[in-house]
Amino acid sequence: MAERIDVAVIGAGPAGLAAAIAAREQGAERVVIIKRSERLGGLLPQCIHNGFGLLYFGEDMTGPEYERVFMRRAEKAGVEARLETMVLDLGEGREITAASSRHGYMRFRPGAVVLAMGCRERARGTLGIPGGRPSGVLTAGTCQRYVNIEGYIPGERFVILGSGDIGMIMARRLTLEGARVEAVVEIMPWPGGLIRNEVQCLHDFGIPLLLEHTVTFVHGEGRIAGVTVARVDAERRPVPGTERFVPCDCLLLSAGLIPENELSLKAGVELDPVTGGPVVDENRQTRVPGIFAGGNVVQVHDLVDWVSWEAEAAGRAAARFADKGKMPFAGKVRVSPGENVKYVVPQYISGKEDVTLHLRVTRPGRKAALRLGGKAWKRFRSVRPGEMIIEKVPVARLSQFISGGELRVDCGRGETGEEA
Amino acid sequence: MAASETVICIGCPLGCRVVVSLDKKGNVTRIKGAQCKQGERYVLKELREPVRTLTTTVRTMDDAYPLLPVRTTRPVLKTLMADIMRETVGVRVKPPVRCGKVIIADVAGSGADLAATTDWKG
Ligand code: SF4
Repeated sequence: MAERIDVAVIGAGPAGLAAAIAAREQGAERVVIIKRSERLGGLLPQCIHNGFGLLYFGEDMTGPEYERVFMRRAEKAGVEARLETMVLDLGEGREITAASSRHGYMRFRPGAVVLAMGCRERARGTLGIPGGRPSGVLTAGTCQRYVNIEGYIPGERFVILGSGDIGMIMARRLTLEGARVEAVVEIMPWPGGLIRNEVQCLHDFGIPLLLEHTVTFVHGEGRIAGVTVARVDAERRPVPGTERFVPCDCLLLSAGLIPENELSLKAGVELDPVTGGPVVDENRQTRVPGIFAGGNVVQVHDLVDWVSWEAEAAGRAAARFADKGKMPFAGKVRVSPGENVKYVVPQYISGKEDVTLHLRVTRPGRKAALRLGGKAWKRFRSVRPGEMIIEKVPVARLSQFISGGELRVDCGRGETGEEA
Repeated sequence: MAASETVICIGCPLGCRVVVSLDKKGNVTRIKGAQCKQGERYVLKELREPVRTLTTTVRTMDDAYPLLPVRTTRPVLKTLMADIMRETVGVRVKPPVRCGKVIIADVAGSGADLAATTDWKG
């Protein structure tokens, strides 16, 4: 593949598709998506539930429907695909080394690269639950594939550890399919996912949500026979004497998603230790010139609509970079998370463009005040870590909030605020 | 006998717990806990007729593609979900299917159709 490629997009889920379409629309001649498997598209086909596209299309779509629209758009836009192709390395000067059964071994240097690898689920190893290693312990996403694609229900009695959105959605799905969900166990004092999922997936079916609880032991040899569930204290340590045995033949893990950045690290892209994704500027350019990133590889979003929008920004900027051969990193102003702010994306801005800030709070609370540079910007009736806050700030207002090369973002209680 | 019902509003991250008081005839006498008007409207609707979009899968005749994802074409009464699931048992679809194709019309008498949410060329 010695021919010139303007923008190479790595990953073909919602982020990759949106980035590639946007790059073409921005005028990039040859935009190529590189994808490991034999078809374009990502995990949306297994997300058969609705709630997608409410913001992007103003329509309540299912995962397959949402992906279908982007697949058709990609085709219309003339996006090319290198399927069954695995990127082995992303090196100096954006050189991509890839191998495929169809095209063999290839090495090329695109005008710009968009990282769109998405994220993966936290596996049991990273959760460190004691007990044996019986079968029947799997991630909520794996279970989702079994149930929604392969047509196989992996158990009859389930416990779900973690109240992430996929876990809650699977609780409903499994119940509808006739399985029994004993409980969703959440270590934090609040649910991990969206409030709408708590109501429509758990309350609707009377599935208990055990907040401030965790699984302390996995029982069973060969097949899982049950778990020990215990209450935790303020330090998230199990409280002795609160343990109880819950029988189950399947434990689902829904304890968070991690941006998939092995390739980014190979490319020397700096990662934000909090988001787990690349440090980016307002154009979604990483610290490595010409390498852009968008979607869940940057930060784990709640809604696919925002994945699409973020990846579009990355795709457009990548097309501009490919055209001009350069684009400075907009690193003039550092956006720093302050009181009750876990992270803000982008981490850097120029201060010379309108900017959309994506942020998550550390703790939930009522009557929170979003302050920029110490000045009141917006009040919220409530904030929750499970719901990303997205604020567009016009450039005309930005300068009054920036001082000493920093834009500080706080989201604590307002001056007139009350206890949470 | 007067009664009260609690509904969690899903209108925004606040998730207000809204308590609705009802008189003997089931008329709403008081709404407490909603922090905004939209929330009150949602809660009243949720109390009168809670509706949900149901999504599930139906079986195909193809082992390589055993399931076709489907949805109700509009939100249906929450109480009909189990009936709809029962109606899908035994359904076997054949290709080709276009996204939006009706698999079961007026499913479980809900007034909504159960329709494919993807294309399946087979
Ligand atoms: S009542 Fe209003 S403020 Fe409360 S959750 Fe509903 S929409 Fe939000």
